[in-house]
Amino acid sequence: MKIAVYWGCCIQANQFAYEMSLRATLPKFGVELVDLSESVCCGDPVKSVNEFAANFLAARILALANSTGLDNLLVPCNRCHFTLTEAQDTMKKNPQTAQKIISLLKEEGLDYGPNIKIWHTIDLLHDLVGLEKIRKAVKKPLRGLKVATHVGCQVIRYSDLGRVDDAENPRKLDELIEAMGAEAVDYAEKLDCCGAALMRSHPDSALSLAGSKLKAVQGLNVAGLVVSCPECQLMFDAKQKDAGTTVGVKLDVPVVYYTQLLGLALGIDDRKLGLHLNQSPAEVLLAKVSS
Amino acid sequence: MARIGVYVCHCGSNIAGVVDVEKVVEYAKTLPDVVTAKHYAYMCSEPGQQLIQDDIEDHKLDRIVIATCSPRMHEETFRRAVAEAGLNPYLTEIVNLREQVSWAHTHEPEKATEKAEALVRMGVARARLLEPLEKHKIRVEKGVLVLGGGIAGIQASLDLANAGFKVYLVEKSPSIGGKMAQLDKTFPTMDCSMCILAPKMIDCAHHPNVQLLTYSEVKGVKGSVGNFKVTVLKKPRYVDEKKCTGCLICSENCPAEAQSEFDECIGVRKAIYTPFMQAVPRVPVIDKESCVECGLCEKVCPTDAVNRAQKPEEIELNVGAIVVSTGFDVFDPSAIPQYGYKRFKNVITAMELERLVCASGPTGGHLTRLSDGKIPRSIAFIQCVGSRDKRFHEYCCRVGCMVTLKQAILAREKIPGDLKIYTCFIDLRAFGKGYEEFYGRARDMDIDFVAGLPSEIHCAADGSLYFDVYDRGTNKLLEVHADLVVLGTGLVPSGDLGKISALLHAPRSADGFLLEAHPKLRPLESAMAGVFLAGVCQGPKDIPDTVAQASGAAAKVIDLLLSGEIDIEPLKAVVDKDLCSGCRICESICPFVAIEMKSELVKGEEKLTAEVVEAVCQGCGLCSSACPTGAVKIQQYDNKQVVTQVQAALAETCAEGEG
Amino acid sequence: MSLVDLMSTAKPNFELRDRILLKLGGRELVNCYQCIRCTSGCTALKLLELKPHEIVKLVNLGLVEELPSSDIIWTCVTCLKCVQRCPQKASPYHVIIALRNLAVERGAKVPEGYLKIVSQILETGLAEPPQKIVTRKMETVDRESAKLPKIKPPKQTFQATFMKAMEEK
Repeated sequence: MKIAVYWGCCIQANQFAYEMSLRATLPKFGVELVDLSESVCCGDPVKSVNEFAANFLAARILALANSTGLDNLLVPCNRCHFTLTEAQDTMKKNPQTAQKIISLLKEEGLDYGPNIKIWHTIDLLHDLVGLEKIRKAVKKPLRGLKVATHVGCQVIRYSDLGRVDDAENPRKLDELIEAMGAEAVDYAEKLDCCGAALMRSHPDSALSLAGSKLKAVQGLNVAGLVVSCPECQLMFDAKQKDAGTTVGVKLDVPVVYYTQLLGLALGIDDRKLGLHLNQSPAEVLLAKVSS
Repeated sequence: MARIGVYVCHCGSNIAGVVDVEKVVEYAKTLPDVVTAKHYAYMCSEPGQQLIQDDIEDHKLDRIVIATCSPRMHEETFRRAVAEAGLNPYLTEIVNLREQVSWAHTHEPEKATEKAEALVRMGVARARLLEPLEKHKIRVEKGVLVLGGGIAGIQASLDLANAGFKVYLVEKSPSIGGKMAQLDKTFPTMDCSMCILAPKMIDCAHHPNVQLLTYSEVKGVKGSVGNFKVTVLKKPRYVDEKKCTGCLICSENCPAEAQSEFDECIGVRKAIYTPFMQAVPRVPVIDKESCVECGLCEKVCPTDAVNRAQKPEEIELNVGAIVVSTGFDVFDPSAIPQYGYKRFKNVITAMELERLVCASGPTGGHLTRLSDGKIPRSIAFIQCVGSRDKRFHEYCCRVGCMVTLKQAILAREKIPGDLKIYTCFIDLRAFGKGYEEFYGRARDMDIDFVAGLPSEIHCAADGSLYFDVYDRGTNKLLEVHADLVVLGTGLVPSGDLGKISALLHAPRSADGFLLEAHPKLRPLESAMAGVFLAGVCQGPKDIPDTVAQASGAAAKVIDLLLSGEIDIEPLKAVVDKDLCSGCRICESICPFVAIEMKSELVKGEEKLTAEVVEAVCQGCGLCSSACPTGAVKIQQYDNKQVVTQVQAALAETCAEGEG
Repeated sequence: MSLVDLMSTAKPNFELRDRILLKLGGRELVNCYQCIRCTSGCTALKLLELKPHEIVKLVNLGLVEELPSSDIIWTCVTCLKCVQRCPQKASPYHVIIALRNLAVERGAKVPEGYLKIVSQILETGLAEPPQKIVTRKMETVDRESAKLPKIKPPKQTFQATFMKAMEEK
C-alpha cells in the first residue's frame, strides 16, 4: 500500500540512517513511501515563539499530505508526530484558528485535509503491518539478543490526544523487538526523557539527562539501546561522548534505530541500513547479531 | 362566575423591596372576577392566614390567589389555612413573586413590578379554572426491605425492628457486617471495629422482627410505595441453615483453599467457609469453584447439614418501603500503573493494610511486608489515589485523610523502635468531631507530613520502594525510601449499583452514587417514592455519618408506614379511558414506571387502556404532552388550564412593544 | 530561583493573566489545587529547578509580570509528563508555551537558538540545513552519497504566508 511520508528537519539534516533503514525495510512489507512535494518544518521549534504560526506550519504539512491524495501519513519523528497530531486536534476543536489557517493555506493554493491518519514508525509496524507479518519475514532471528528500548516522550503523551502507545506501560516497541526473536528488558528509567529539547538553550542539562539514562542502560548489561526517534538518537548516539563527559562516566552503549535492527533481522546489508553512520559502538551490536 | 381573592405578600423586604406591592394590588382589583385584593407583610404568618380565612367567609370567596414566595415553601401551609376556612384546598393558586421576580430582577424594580402584575394576571386566569380535588388514602404494608447488611443496613434494621416493623435484611455475601467488619480500629476513638459491630450483628440475628436473608440478592421489584413486591434469590450455600450449628468442623477438615475475599486476597480461606470468625449467620457456604468435591465436609458434619445438591430459592416479599444500604467498593489502583500496584509487592492499598494490622487478619495483626515478611522500617502513605481526580473520580472520598492518620498511628504503635512514617497529601481534611484533635495526636507521634504527591514510584532490587516528592512547605525535593507504600485509595460506587439503580428506578448522581431527593433538605430518600438511602451508597462518608443517616432513613420509613396508610396527593396524571387508544406511548415514556396497561371488556371487545399508579406518579406531565389523543391529563394542569395562563401572559403588550 | 522580591508584596496583573488563560483555550488551569504531582515528576526539576506547580499558581494569582522575562520558562524539556499526570487537566506545559510566546512578543530575552531557527525556516523551509556526517571510520557522508532523494524546497508563496502567520498573536 502507498503511504505518504513526512521526514521533518532532523532526519533530513543529519539522521540519515533512520531514513535509509525505513526506505530499506518497509518495502519488504508491501509499504511504498510517497514523499511530499516540499520539505518544510512541522513547526515544533516555532511553538515557543508563536503557537499560531506553529499550528499553521503543521496544518500546511497536512495540506501537502492531502494533495498526494493518500489517506495515511507516516511521521517517523516523535516530535513531528506530536506536533501534527496536536495541530489536527486544534483544527478540529478551535474553529476560529482553523478558519484563519485554512484561508492562509488557500492563499498558497493548498487545501487542508482534516482526515489524514497520522502514523509513527512504531504503530505502523505494530498495528498496520502487524507482528505476525514481521515474524514471518524475519530471516535471521535475533535469538539471545537482549536490548533496552527507549520509546520517547511525545509519542506516548499525552493520552487524551490519542497517542501511539500507552503512556505508563508502552509495550509496542518491546513487542516489535520480540517479534524478531530478541528480548526487551524492563528498567526503572524506561520512561525518562532524552533531553533533546533543551539542546537549544541548556545544552549541559540536556546532555546530563541523556547521560543519566545511558548510564542506567549501561548498568543493565544489554546489547544495546533501541530508539525510534531522530532527536532521541541524536542525544544517545551522536552525543554519547559529550553526555558521558557531562555525567562523568565512560559510556559505551550501542544505540540503534529499531528499523536498523529490523533490517538486520530481515537479512538486509548493514550499509543499506546506515549502520556505518551510528556514532555509538554499533559494530559491537552488529557482531552479536552476526554471530 | 368565580369569586377570587388576591393576596400580595411583602415577604418582609424580600418582595416589597423590589416590587411595588400596592401597585400590584391595585392592578389585581381591575381584573375580572377579583372580589378583593390585599397586601400584607408576611402572608404565611398567623395574622396573614387569618386575613384570608376571614375574607373567605366575609366575601364568600371560592378561589384564592396568593402572590408570595415559591410554592415549595408554603403551598401546604396556605392549603391548610384555606381548608380550615371550609374551602377546598386545591382551589388555591400560588404566584411566585420572590424567586421569579424580586430575587431575579433585583436591580430593575419597574420592570419587576410589571412582571409581577403579569404573573398575577396569569394566576387569576388559572384560578378561574381550578377544580376541587381530594387527597385519598391507600393501605400500606408494614414490612421493610433493607438491601445491604453493612453497618448502615444493620442500624436501619434495628431501628425499624424496635419500632415494631418486620424487616427483611438482604445481604449478598454469606455474612452481614460489610466493610466495617474488615477494619481493625475506627477513627477518631480507636475503637476496635469488630468489637462495636459484632453486638449489633448479633442483635440483628436474634431480633424477632428481623429476618436475615444472607447470600441472597434482589432479582426483581414491582409495585410502588406502600406496596412493593420484591423477588429475592437465595443462592445455594449447599449447607442446610436449619441443621447447621456453626461448629465449623467442615471448614477445619476441608482440604481445598482459595484466596480470602475478606482478607483482600492476602490470606486464604477454605472452599467451605464462613468469611470471618464472627460471621452472622455462622453458617458456612461452599464455593463450588474452589471445591474439589472430596465430600469430606459431608462426612464430618455432626448434624448432617451439608447438602451439596441444594438449589437456589426464590422468595417473594411484600414490603411498604425499601432502604438501600449497599455500601461501596474500594478504588483499584491498577488504573494508575505508575504507582506500581500489583507490579511491586510492597505497594498495597489502605484496605490491605487494614487486614495486615488486624488481629484476625492473615498475619495475626503483625505489620509485615508482603514480599518477605520483614517488619518495615519506613512506611509512606500516598493520599488521593483515584479521588479528586478528573481522570477517575472527581469527588473527595471524605475518609481518606482520617484513614491514613489512623493507620499511621497504628503503625507507630505496632512497631517499636525505628520506624520512619511519611504521609504525602494535597490537603489534610480532618473535619469531624474529634478529628482535628486526632490529627494533633498523629503530629505528636513523629509522623512526617509532606505537602505534595509523588508522580511515580519505583522499586529497588530488594523490594523496597523509592520515589521523589516535592514538599510545598520547605520547597525542597525529597527522595523518599519506603519499605512499604500504602495507597490511600478512595471509596467508589459499588460495581452492581447500576443494576440496583435500574431495579429500583432510583436514579444516580453524576458521581455514580445514588441520588438523594434533595441534597440539603431530603438527603435520606431517593427521588423514587418509597426508596430510602442509608450509608455510602448515597455518597462517601464515615461511620458516624453512616449510622446517623441509617437511623434517619429508618425514622423516615416509620413516618411513612406507621399509620398503616398514606395520603396520595391528587396532582397526578389521570387517564380518560374513553379517549385512550392503548398506544402505550405514555407507558414507555414515564420515567417512574407509573403507568400500567389494563385490559378490560368494552362493549364485548377486549380493550387495552392505560391506568396511572397514583402512588408512584410524580405529576411530571411527560405522558400528558406525549399522548396523541389527549386522553391523559394532569390534575390541575390540563391543557385548558395551561393555555389560559399563556393567553393571560400575552394579553397585554409591554411598553417596549413586545408580544 | 526567586521570582518575587521579598521586600515588597507581589502585585497581580489580572489583564495579562486573562490573556494567557484565553490563549490556553480549554485547559482548566484554574482548577489546579497544588497536588504537586507535576513538580514531583518534572524532568527539569533537579537540574534546572523548574517547578511547574509554582508557574501555574503564579499565573492563577495573576503574578505574571516577571514570568515572561524569567529564565525558568525556557527550562521545560517538553516531556509532557505534567500534562499526562495532572488530575485536573491543568497542563503546566501549555502555560509555559504561552508564557514563551508572551516573552517573544514583549521582546524579553529569548534563547538565541529559537530565533535563529525561525529565520532558517523563513529562508529555506527547514529548521536546520542538511549536514555532512563524519563516521567513526572518518568517512564523510552527505544525503547524496547516502543515495537519499534531494530535498525539495517550499514553493515561492511560502515565505509570505509564513510571515503572515507569524504576525498573529
